[in-house]
Formats: sequence, C-alpha cells, structure tokens
Amino acid sequence: MKEELVKIEELIRNFDDIDKSDIKELMQRFFTKLSNRLENYVGDYPTFIEPVYLEDNVKIGDDVLLGPNVYIGANSEIQDYVEISNTIIFNNVKIGENFKLENCVVAKNSSLNFKNLNMKNSVLIGTTNSKDELQSMEF
Amino acid sequence: MSDKEDKTISRIKEIESINLARDDIRDEVIETKKAVERDNDLLANKVHQSFIDNNIKSFDIVGAIGSGKTALLEKITAKLSSQYRILVICGDITTRLDADRIEKHNAETIQINTGRECALNAYHIHKIIKNKDLKNYDVVFIENVGNLICPSDFILGTDKRLIVVSTTEGEWVVEKHPMLFKMSDIAVINKFDLKERLGTDVDKMISDAKKINPKIEVITTSAKTGENIDKLMNLMGL
Repeated sequence: MKEELVKIEELIRNFDDIDKSDIKELMQRFFTKLSNRLENYVGDYPTFIEPVYLEDNVKIGDDVLLGPNVYIGANSEIQDYVEISNTIIFNNVKIGENFKLENCVVAKNSSLNFKNLNMKNSVLIGTTNSKDELQSMEF
Repeated sequence: MSDKEDKTISRIKEIESINLARDDIRDEVIETKKAVERDNDLLANKVHQSFIDNNIKSFDIVGAIGSGKTALLEKITAKLSSQYRILVICGDITTRLDADRIEKHNAETIQINTGRECALNAYHIHKIIKNKDLKNYDVVFIENVGNLICPSDFILGTDKRLIVVSTTEGEWVVEKHPMLFKMSDIAVINKFDLKERLGTDVDKMISDAKKINPKIEVITTSAKTGENIDKLMNLMGL
C-alpha cells in the first residue's frame, strides 16, 4: 500500500507532465490493498464506508461521508458537509466545506480554502481561496 | 442523470420534521424531503437491478437493538458459506464489532459506520456496489442499524426485508412499530427460548404483525439454540 502511495506522490510532483494511465493504474492497485484505520482522528462520528485509512491527527467536520476507498494523510483537515470516495489526500491538506471528491488525488500541503466543489477523476494541487484559481488536471 | 439530480442525491439529508421548518422555508423543506425520498427510491431500484443482473439474492435485515440480527446472521452464514459466496454489509453507528463476528463464518463483510445517522440508505449501498464486482457473490445480506423507526424511511433495493424483534422487548413491540412491519416481508420473533421465563405473549406479537401486514410471514426462532433457523432460511428461499 505505501509503495503505491510513494509512487503516486512522485508522479504528481511534476504537475505539468503527469502520466494519466500510470496514475489510474496505481490508484486501482492502491485501493485493492487499502486497509481500514479509523483511530486517532479528531471529530464527532462521521460516516465511514470501508475501507477508509486515516493517518494520525486528521480533523473531520460535521456531516462528512468518507468512503469507500479513501486515504487521508496526517494532519489534514476535512471541513463540514464533505463527501469523498476513491480518493487519496496526502499530508497537511485542507479541504473546504461542501466538497464532493470522487476518484481524485490531492497533493500534500494543498489548502483549498473555499466552499462548494464537485470534482471527479482529477489531481488537485495548491493553496487557494477561490475555485477559479484551483490548479487541477483531469485524468 | 442531470447535474441537479446528481447534486441532490449527493447530499441525502433526512429531514426529521417538517414542523421544525420556519414558515418562509416550509415549502422548500417539503420539496427537499420529497426529492430525497424519490432519489433514495431511484437509487434503490438501481441497486436492486444490479443484484438481479448478477443473480444475487439480497436481504435487508432491520430490527431493534439487541434483538439478535447479528446472531441470526452468524447462524445463517455458517450454514451457507460452504455453498454460497456471501457479502454482508453491516450498518452501525460506530465500531465493526458485528462485521468481525460475522466474518468468522467465512463471509466477506463491509462495515458502514453511519456516525450520527440512524439508518442505512440506498446511497450507502450504491456507493459500495459501484466498487464491487458483483459477479463474485451469490447472496448479499445488509444488516441495518439497530432501530425500529428510521429504516422505514429508506428502502435499500433488496429482494426481501426481514424485521427481527425478540421476546425480551415485550409483546407490545410489534404494535408500537407498525411502519416497519408494514414494509417487511418476513417477521422474525427471536429469543423464543426465553418465552416461558419472560412470560412474553408471543401469540399477540404474531397476530399484531399479521394485523398490520396480512402478507407478512412470521416465524419464531432462537439464534442461541438454532431453533427454526432452517425454516427461516426456507422462507428466505435459501
């Protein structure tokens, strides 16, 4: 599981030159190996559909649905009314209120400080306060 | 499906009571509630069609907390797992205690922790089956969150719904929860082995269930002793 994670992180590092077929295949492989880890999150009982893997100190808001197939890296924050499935979120990421992410990858240290986003099959990256400034690449 | 419909379905929110809505938003609340119910039914139909297309027998098991849903499922999966490929979806507020118990009987399990929601809905089930190759299963059981009220709001798209109550809840439990009995195909009165000791009027429970839903099949069982488990499986067509 960690092996695919490292490869995906490596792959999205060079944002302008991501191999789309590689990322799809790696994500598929990653999700078949994904186990469940729900300890050490901060929040009041969100909805989880297995498998969901949370690294340490993930903050989760109210009315959040995570899963199936969700990995969230350490110290990331998920705000209220968010729904995430088949998605990898790396460390230190902030996801804004009422986001719906399906089959996405969010690069580490990204901070998406705005509300209401519905994205599928995309890599998201950057620190931004507005949807228009969001850097994304569909795969 | 239009973007608007997709967005509505994406946030299925149960609206507990129209009475709580202020006058200026009352119409909007009613329309949203109707839309949520309609969207749940649409998704449930989609789920059921997927089960049918893959020749899967499917069951939604609802019932009171502690009535013996998991214990019955343990008995049933133990008897079936040598001949059928079984998937059990377990709904609970938190923990995977039930899924762990059932998994010991060679069934694949998926736990849904509903957090603060009091019942599973078709959206949860649809999310799971979208990610599964249903060709790998013959039977799917969905063990709903222990609750005799909320599951009546959401059908899940299974062939049959079983409602489980037990002698420990007293003979009024059926009469007091008519809606779920109305919507179920089989009523199971479990912990029959405790009937004499508790003095529960099981005949009243049976006649109440039949009064509420004349089509419902009623069976008494004991998951503990194994009494009538085979008969229950026959009723389920297993």
